[in-house]
Amino acid sequence: MGRLRRSRVHNARRDVHRASRTRVRTRDVDQIQLIDLDPKNRAKLEAQPIDIEKPGLAQHYCVECAKYYETDAALQSHWRGKIHKRRCKQLREPAYTIEESERAAGLGRETRRHVEAVDVMTDVA
Amino acid sequence: MRIEKCYFCSTNVYPGHGSAFVRNDAKVFRFCTSKCHKNFKMKRNPRKVRWTKAFRKAAGKEMTIDSTIDFEKRRNVPVRYDRELIQTTVKAMKRVGEIKARRERAFFKHRMAVSREKQRAHRKKAMESIKGSVTLHEPLSVESATTRSKIKVPVKTKSALVQGEGRSMVMEID
Repeated sequence: MGRLRRSRVHNARRDVHRASRTRVRTRDVDQIQLIDLDPKNRAKLEAQPIDIEKPGLAQHYCVECAKYYETDAALQSHWRGKIHKRRCKQLREPAYTIEESERAAGLGRETRRHVEAVDVMTDVA
Repeated sequence: MRIEKCYFCSTNVYPGHGSAFVRNDAKVFRFCTSKCHKNFKMKRNPRKVRWTKAFRKAAGKEMTIDSTIDFEKRRNVPVRYDRELIQTTVKAMKRVGEIKARRERAFFKHRMAVSREKQRAHRKKAMESIKGSVTLHEPLSVESATTRSKIKVPVKTKSALVQGEGRSMVMEID
């Protein structure tokens, strides 16, 4: 007699592992917030040329979630959903960046760009 | 040689330690340990993970505005080696470290004092809310505690040196 029961050792671990591979990495929150949500980039992302390699020929793209949808109806229902709303909430607060990790460690930067201007403003306030 | 900071927990990453992830926009994320790397892969926000430096700074648990913090900086202008300058810098580092430690202690003490005050107020409030609802009773009967007297058992001393006593091979006959 062969085995009748399937073993329950690798419960869905394969899919978790596959989803975390580098080649399926999606855009990070800081990339979306600082680059994609810029109106110019946003318009470009929402009106992409037809690409046969992307889901739905790259015609239905959610900028906040960095995800392609097959149909317009699917995109609409995604916008109404919890996952999209959660992501929108995440994007409302400033994203964590490498600069912030350095600032938290007490490592400042000597630059003559906008970073210094912000510092001066906080000093005055 | 450059001592980097961990992306997740902001500790020092010394040369030859930790790992790095380079995103496809050429941003380098450095990690001190696999713990930090794994947390990054889980897409956690360091500002919301309690053990990171970012959380502690954001939640007001550590000094954020202080002149002693401003000394450590990434300066992109190379400085020509100067023995005198290095000497004074090392001396200054020690002194600044001392001052920083003292200020941090003062900050901690102040923070604890405030929290203690808060806790005391909370406890007082809780006690007052209990007072009205709970009445204490005396127990109906108190059982007399049974006392146990020790019974002394005389101990037979046995010596291996004396034949027929203790560990000898001869059977004991009373």
